[in-house]
Amino acid sequence: MRGGGGLNGGMSVAPSREKVAAIDLPVRRGLTRRQALAAALAAGVGVGAVRLLGGSMQGIGRPSNGTMDWISPLGSEGARVMQMLRRTSFGYTAAQLESALSEGFKKTVDRLLETKPVEPPVLAAAGTPGGRFSVALLQQWWLDHILSTATPFGERMTLFWHGHFTSDYRKVGDENFMYWQNLTWRRMSMTDLRSMLIQVTSDPAMLKYLDLAQSTGQSPNENYSRELMELFTMGAGNFTETDVRQSAKALAGWQLPQPDSYATVVVDKANNVTRKYPVYAAQKAGVLNPKRAFSGSVTFLGKSGPLDTQGVIDRILAQPSTAVYIASKVARHFVTAQPDAAYVKSLADTFRRSKYDMKTLMHAVFTSPQFNAGQSYRTLVKTPTEFMLHAGQALGAPNLSKLVAGAGSGMGQSLFDPPDVNGWPTNDSWISSNTVVERVNFVTAVMNQVKKSIPSSANAPQTHLDGVLSAQTAKLLNQATDDRARWFITLASPEFQLK
Amino acid sequence: MTREIGINQLKRRDFLKAGLVFGAGAAGLAAGYAAVPDAFARAVYAAKKEGVANDNILVMIQLAGGNDGLRTVVPLADPALHDLRPKLSGSMVSQALPVNTQWGLNHNLGAIKGLWDKGKVAIVQGVGYPNPTFSHFESIRIWETGDPTRRQVDGWLGRTLATAYDSNGHPLTGCACGTTNVPGALRDLQATMTVIQNQKTFGFSGGSEVEAAVGALYKGTPGIYGALFDTAMATATETISTLRTSAATYHPMADYSDKVKLVYSSKNQLAAALQLAAELIVTGTGVKLLHVTLGGFDTHYTELNRHDDLMGYLDSAVGAFYQDLAAHGMADKVLIATWSEFGRRPKENASGGTDHGAAAPLLLIGNPVKGGLYGEAPSLTSLDKTGNLPYSVDFRSVYQEILAGHLGAGSNQILGASFDRIPFLSAPVAAV
Repeated sequence: MRGGGGLNGGMSVAPSREKVAAIDLPVRRGLTRRQALAAALAAGVGVGAVRLLGGSMQGIGRPSNGTMDWISPLGSEGARVMQMLRRTSFGYTAAQLESALSEGFKKTVDRLLETKPVEPPVLAAAGTPGGRFSVALLQQWWLDHILSTATPFGERMTLFWHGHFTSDYRKVGDENFMYWQNLTWRRMSMTDLRSMLIQVTSDPAMLKYLDLAQSTGQSPNENYSRELMELFTMGAGNFTETDVRQSAKALAGWQLPQPDSYATVVVDKANNVTRKYPVYAAQKAGVLNPKRAFSGSVTFLGKSGPLDTQGVIDRILAQPSTAVYIASKVARHFVTAQPDAAYVKSLADTFRRSKYDMKTLMHAVFTSPQFNAGQSYRTLVKTPTEFMLHAGQALGAPNLSKLVAGAGSGMGQSLFDPPDVNGWPTNDSWISSNTVVERVNFVTAVMNQVKKSIPSSANAPQTHLDGVLSAQTAKLLNQATDDRARWFITLASPEFQLK
Repeated sequence: MTREIGINQLKRRDFLKAGLVFGAGAAGLAAGYAAVPDAFARAVYAAKKEGVANDNILVMIQLAGGNDGLRTVVPLADPALHDLRPKLSGSMVSQALPVNTQWGLNHNLGAIKGLWDKGKVAIVQGVGYPNPTFSHFESIRIWETGDPTRRQVDGWLGRTLATAYDSNGHPLTGCACGTTNVPGALRDLQATMTVIQNQKTFGFSGGSEVEAAVGALYKGTPGIYGALFDTAMATATETISTLRTSAATYHPMADYSDKVKLVYSSKNQLAAALQLAAELIVTGTGVKLLHVTLGGFDTHYTELNRHDDLMGYLDSAVGAFYQDLAAHGMADKVLIATWSEFGRRPKENASGGTDHGAAAPLLLIGNPVKGGLYGEAPSLTSLDKTGNLPYSVDFRSVYQEILAGHLGAGSNQILGASFDRIPFLSAPVAAV
């Protein structure tokens, strides 16, 4: 921690016009929480959280269910807009927040859904023969685009699909293919699932990652077939092992695109070892080689007959489990950690009726009462990338992409490098002794990067924490004596890890 | 038999003296959420327990992705092998390190073979469970929870922590090394555990001022994640302080190297993770249950070199770990066990790899082991209707022997039933 803010005990409470928490809840050393609870209730004060609105504390209420919970501020339009931005983007600058607040919730939703994602600039390293360039370049390129784009929701959806239709650079072994996959996922991010699935199946990085490029009708490889159903569409328990083997046959025959040429590259100067690597003039999809495909009849999901890749996809889309599986995952990413079955079903029905249109599904999600319900408030944990970029943008930190690209792995998220074929985990899985330390260390690092130009912290608890604070956070903010200390507490707080 | 490590006793006493008892854990349960109660809430459970049964230690090594049992413990004389695996069987038989006339260890498992020769390796063959799933994630969950019916949500090691140990106030009792997230096997609502990815970077870069500030910040946090956040931070600050002492006194007495050829998708630095495990063990931090992971075993494609490399990587890390423990006089206490969600299909696919399979062998390594082959040797001519090896040993039998015979923990309570014991321990402790 830089600066002489004084974060631990012993400092005096700074008198301040925009005083953060005027109330001193009786949570202090030597008291158990039960005693604190009793004292607070006797005093007519809600224990769960201190809520600030307009600079003074309001809205204190008793927790209704006996558990200690956050007091939802979502009755106010401003809080609804801020939650919307946290859940659909990577944080916001003061100007972006101002603009969304003046638009209001409904118009913000419309804008997010109706604006096509802006294409990122061309990655300078792309086209390197064999895609032999550092993944860090790819990570920084994407992060730079996320930070500068006018359509961050498109990036948020691209990250969602990167975790869903996942691939990792290690196994793919070709950064050009990973780059193409990122471009494809962005372009298809808000289209329909049917056209998405054919692009996913023929995506060169995916063909390598799940071995479909190796699969032939004569000797099928089951890897892609299984994960297409288990992780991409229907979910476990909705298909049989026979379905896996049969669709593996039907899906076989895809190959990587033919390179435009080959380049000879020296890989070991000392021993003068050279290798030939493929060169592509432009992005290409995989190609189906009929000679490698299966031509007979298969029995798949209850029907028999000849079947090609589109046939497999259409039969998967005819299963009710597909819409339920996708709607459930979307709800857990955007609404609440444990969506109830009726809510998921209503989203799934809407999704399926719309012929699997993502725009329709996301519109239903954002305009559902559950999205702004008190019970959904702070039930989602920010992914490491969301947390880091939100913190950096709040501070106006320079050179963020390099810092963020390097810092993610200790929190469990390195872009283009998911832990396994299930992509990244959600919510509670982001919290461990290792990750909380790494998140705090990121705040230290990003604040060091801001140096002297730190913005005023006066509104930080309002604009980044909705003014809904735990007793401890309120107390520490109140004791902090300068901008650096107040920013540190704001960004390192548990509240800031939630969205 | 109760041999306490001093630090545990002291901390529990302090804890009980403080008399901190209340129910954030219950609130988490009421919300239907697998949150972990905060450190103070758990004191209520501490009062119920009377210390650990012994000072034995367990290290579980997860071989993630589905380890090919037939390339780990190689059938030397099964005539069906070559037909099932024309590409993959080539030199694996001739190069294997024979443990008898029928079976040999993968040729890259030289250090483990050396321990076998000294009677310190048990091979349990044909380990699996009824009606196997071929999904990575379902099968991982089954192994982690010890429940093929998929009803149990807590991990078997987490339940061990919660029921057999008093981990409250000493979070290093259970520790995952070399990862950022809590492994499913260690998860439990009532257990505390630590996760350390990399010891060198595990600490607050902002120094003691930041450490004190966040210690104060993460207390009494409301909401469904409140207890989880508070526990994670309390655990981290206490562990960081413990590790400062450990790092100053620990001197590795083996060559841990992660500089072996990098195998795709094997992101974990297994040797570094095991070195941290050794440090926690030899410096007397009170660690009991450790979990490390080596990934990359999902060899659907060009398995030949990949799997051999992974075996070599595993072997060098385990070899160094054992040597280090032995040099510090701790090898008698530590049982090392491998696990993987499934084996691989005996018949190879067209990509020079193998698809998801079923039963496979496990390795148990260390001085507590009574060396030898256990379980029923699989036959390549009696495959099940999915073309996979049927199981002969329920994996919970292995857990039961570890729990009852090595840790001295009440295995029935943890596993929910009793399973046949497999006598792979040289001197099993009396059951509690």
